[in-house]
Amino acid sequence: MDLMKLRAERRSRFWGKEVLPYLGYVLQSGVAALMLFALIVFSAWYTSLVQHIPAGLPIRWIMLVLFVPLTVNSSFRTYLAPADTVFLLPQESRMKSYFQGSWTSGVVYKLLGLALIFLISWPIYVRSDGQPKPFWLFLLVLIALKLLASYGCWKELRMVSRRATFAYRVLRYVVLALCVAAWIWQPAGRSLIFIVLLAATYTAALRLPAKHPVAWERLIAQEKVHSGRVLMVLGWFVNVPGREQRVYARKWLSWAGNNIPWKPEAAYRYLLMKSFVRSDILGIVLRVGILAAFLAWWQRGSNVGIGIYWFFVFLAGIQLSSLLRFHSESFWLHVYPIAPGSRRRNAIKLAFQIQLTFAAVTWLPLLGAGLERMGTVLMALLGGIVLCLLSRFFASRKKTEDDEDDE
Amino acid sequence: MNGNTVLDIQGLSGGYSLNRPVLHDVSFQVNPGEMVGLIGLNGAGKSTTMKHILGLMTPQKGEIRVRGKKRDEDSETYHGSLAFVPESPLLYDDMTVREHLEFTARAYNVPRGDYEERADRLSRIFRMQDKMDSLSTQLSKGMRQKVMIMCAFVARPSLYIIDEPFLGLDPLGIRSLLDFMVELKEGGSSILLSSHILSTIENYCDRFVVLHQGSIIAQGTLEAIEAQAGTTGAGLEDMFYTLVQGRD
Repeated sequence: MDLMKLRAERRSRFWGKEVLPYLGYVLQSGVAALMLFALIVFSAWYTSLVQHIPAGLPIRWIMLVLFVPLTVNSSFRTYLAPADTVFLLPQESRMKSYFQGSWTSGVVYKLLGLALIFLISWPIYVRSDGQPKPFWLFLLVLIALKLLASYGCWKELRMVSRRATFAYRVLRYVVLALCVAAWIWQPAGRSLIFIVLLAATYTAALRLPAKHPVAWERLIAQEKVHSGRVLMVLGWFVNVPGREQRVYARKWLSWAGNNIPWKPEAAYRYLLMKSFVRSDILGIVLRVGILAAFLAWWQRGSNVGIGIYWFFVFLAGIQLSSLLRFHSESFWLHVYPIAPGSRRRNAIKLAFQIQLTFAAVTWLPLLGAGLERMGTVLMALLGGIVLCLLSRFFASRKKTEDDEDDE
Repeated sequence: MNGNTVLDIQGLSGGYSLNRPVLHDVSFQVNPGEMVGLIGLNGAGKSTTMKHILGLMTPQKGEIRVRGKKRDEDSETYHGSLAFVPESPLLYDDMTVREHLEFTARAYNVPRGDYEERADRLSRIFRMQDKMDSLSTQLSKGMRQKVMIMCAFVARPSLYIIDEPFLGLDPLGIRSLLDFMVELKEGGSSILLSSHILSTIENYCDRFVVLHQGSIIAQGTLEAIEAQAGTTGAGLEDMFYTLVQGRD
C-alpha cells in the first residue's frame, strides 16, 4: 500500500470535493465582498498609521502579542478516518511515510503565513522600535521558533498520557513566549544564546514522556476538529452540510441556558444555547470581543475607534450566523414535538441577543473618550444596534429563502 | 379499529423508491397498555416501519395514526404522543446526560417538577447518578444507550417505539429496562418493541408482529403465532424459524 499516495488522495478529495465546490458561492456572497472592503479599509488605516506613528507606541508588546500565537500555534492535517484504526493499523510501522505530507504541509503553509504577517508588521516595527533587530535575522528566528513549536506539537500528539499532553502544551506556550520576548527585548547575541539553550532543554524534555507509535484515536479526533473548522469557515458564507464542531466541556458555563423559559416553543433555544457555550463559536466571539475592546479603547479618541467597533460588531454577526446552521441535520428535531418554525425563530433570536450583548460590552471602552465625545459615542452605540438589527433582518430573510427544514 | 387504539397502521406500503417498496400492505395496531414485539430478519422492514411511524418516511400507500391523528393533520400532537429509542444511540456531543433529559422534557412539555422527579428516579434505576453531568462523548456505548432510554422515559408519551434496545446494555441494564417497560405498560402506556433477542421478549410482549420481506406473515399472541407456525410447545425462536424458513 502506497501510504503517501493514500494521504495525497484523501487530501485532494477533501479540498477538491468538500471545499472547492463551495468556493464559488463564497466569492459570490456579499460577505466576501464586505470582507474585501474591510481589508481595503484596514490597509488604508495601516498605511496612515505607519506614516503617522503615535509617540510611545508599545511596539514591543504589540510584536509579542502578534508573534507568540503565530509561532506557538501548530496543527497537522492527517485526513485520518475512524475506520483507519481497523484498516491502517496493520501498516502502523510504515505510517511515517503517510505523516510526512502532514508534517510538510502543516509547517510550510504556516511559515508562509508567519512570513507574510512579519512583512506587514515590519514597517511599523522598524519605525517605532529604538533598536530594531535586523530584518533577515528576525525572520530566521521566527522561522526557527515556528519549527520548534511544530516539532513540540507533533510530539505532544503522540504522548500516551493526556495529562502529559496538556502539561507539554502549556510548556510549549511558555517556552515560545519566553523566546519571542527575549528576542524582542534583549540584544541579539544574548537572546540567541538564551533561545538556543531553552530550545535544547525543551527538545530534551520532549523525549521524556511515553509515546504511542501512532496515536490513532487522538489523531482521528484532531482531524475531525480541523476539517470541522474548515467547513465552519465555509459555513459563514454558504450552507455546508455535515459540519462537525469541536466540543469544549466548559463546566463553568453549564448554567447558561437554564433560565430559558420552560416551554416547548423555547426548547430548541435551550439546546442551541448549550451547543453555543461549548462550541468554537463562543471562543471566537470572546477573542474577537477582547480584541475589539482593546482596539476600541486604544482609538477611543478618534472616529477610527468607532469604525473598529462597528467592524467587530459586524464580524461578530458573521460568526454568530453559524448558530442558524447548528443541528441542521439533527435526527431528534424531526422526531421531537418541536413546533414548526420554532427552530428558525429561536436561532435568530439567540444570535441577535448574543450580538446585542457583544455590541453593548465592546462599546464600553469608547466611553473612555470622555464627556466631550459623548454624543459621538452614543451614535456609535446606535450604529452598533442598527448593525445587530440588520444581521437579524438578513438572517431571517436568508432562512426564509433557503431553509424549509422545520416547516 | 378500536377507538382507543394508540397506534393504527392500515395498508402501509412504502420504501426508499416508488418502484421498489420495502413494505407491502402492512397493517397492525397497538392498544393502550400493550407491548407488541415487531420481529423479523435483517432487512425484513422493521426499521422502515418505525421510520414511517416516526414521520421520517412518507407512506406510498396506506395511513398511520397515533392516538387517532395522522402526522400531516397535527404534527405536534402526533410527535408529542410518541417517543423513540433508536438502535444506535444518537446523542448531542455538546450536552450532558442531564441536559439531554431536560431538553426532552422541555420539548415534550413535561412540567419541571415531574421532570426532576423522573430524571432522579431514572438515573437511579439505570445507575447513572454519577454520570448525569458528563458530556455524552465521555460515556461508553452502553451508557449512551441508557441515556436514549432515559430520554424516552422522561417524556412519558402514550406510545414508545423501541428499536433493538438491548444492544450494548449490561445484564443489569437489560433487567432495569424490562422492569421499567412492564411498569409503563401497567400504567397504560403502549410499546412497540423490535428485537432479535426473541427468548427475552417472548415473556414480556403481549402480541407479536412477524415481518418477512416487507410483509406481515403472522401476528397475534404467542398462542396465535404458534397456531400460524403450526408448532406445538415450541418457543418463539422456533416458531419464528418455522415461519420464515423456506419463504425466501
